[in-house]
Amino acid sequence: MNVYAYCLSQEADWSALEAVTGLAGERPFVLSYGEIVAVVSKPPDSPIAVTRENVLAHERVISHVFAQTTPLPFRFGGLLRSGELDRYVEANRDSLLGLLARVRGAVEMSVKIIHEHGSEEEDDAVGRTEPAEPEKVLGQGAMFLAAKQRESAESKLFEERAREIANWLKEQLAGIVKDSFLRLTPTRGMAVKAAYLVERPRLEEYRDRLKFVREQRPELLFLTSGPWPPYSFCDLIT
Amino acid sequence: MTSEEWEDFGESELSLLETLDHVLSLGLVVAGEITISVANIELIFVGLNLLVGSTETVYQVLGKRARGLDPGETSPDISSD
Repeated sequence: MNVYAYCLSQEADWSALEAVTGLAGERPFVLSYGEIVAVVSKPPDSPIAVTRENVLAHERVISHVFAQTTPLPFRFGGLLRSGELDRYVEANRDSLLGLLARVRGAVEMSVKIIHEHGSEEEDDAVGRTEPAEPEKVLGQGAMFLAAKQRESAESKLFEERAREIANWLKEQLAGIVKDSFLRLTPTRGMAVKAAYLVERPRLEEYRDRLKFVREQRPELLFLTSGPWPPYSFCDLIT
Repeated sequence: MTSEEWEDFGESELSLLETLDHVLSLGLVVAGEITISVANIELIFVGLNLLVGSTETVYQVLGKRARGLDPGETSPDISSD
């Protein structure tokens, strides 16, 4: 039987799934693999389109399970052929149980930090400002090289800034979060993307701490969201 | 997502983008079994910079396409800042 996969979990009140609809209006149901259960539904007849409706249906089913326990969510689009899910769970049983233990009782909180680049100081650092007195008119080749040099300096500056922000944030939240996943995104806009695994009883403490942290760096724009199922903590190595 | 703090941005827009960011680019994957269809639309919003760079694309894909609107029409649900 082909199935569309939403998430893997251990304990939950599966009768509650009757109240939710998944992709293509299909009711989700569970397949049991001993200690691990998979929440799936009958797959759509046609290829799974990336539409708002489908994406939200995927998230809706996972959120329903997440309201009761902490599952391992599948990425959108997981259409599995007959036997595929069985083989996947069997082949990765120990790793999956390890991941489920890791996220049990916890939620993912997301933090994205945007740093507005382009201060005068940074313009000077990357040579974006015009010299007071241009020494000479550059040829096309020299202009190209100068542009590449500026681009490289800008890249380096963004990376340094992102690294500094990431380290600072890590220090600030140490001891409160159970686990973290930080990714530098050293572009002109975003600097850091972080996901934190926070135990449910410590959520308020996390929020209070983050509020304090935000106030320390008013030059940074924080985009925070959560709680999410632990999407960033499903790094199964197969 | 049960609660969120959005500052300086439209809540519904960012909520959708955050959902996309998680659902489309993270989570368990069974190798080779992601079978999504994107027709002629570039899936550039699956990048992690979607919050600052690809709003318009997400808007086009998940707003207009889902409702079958013409590209020139505007969506009442998602707006770009």
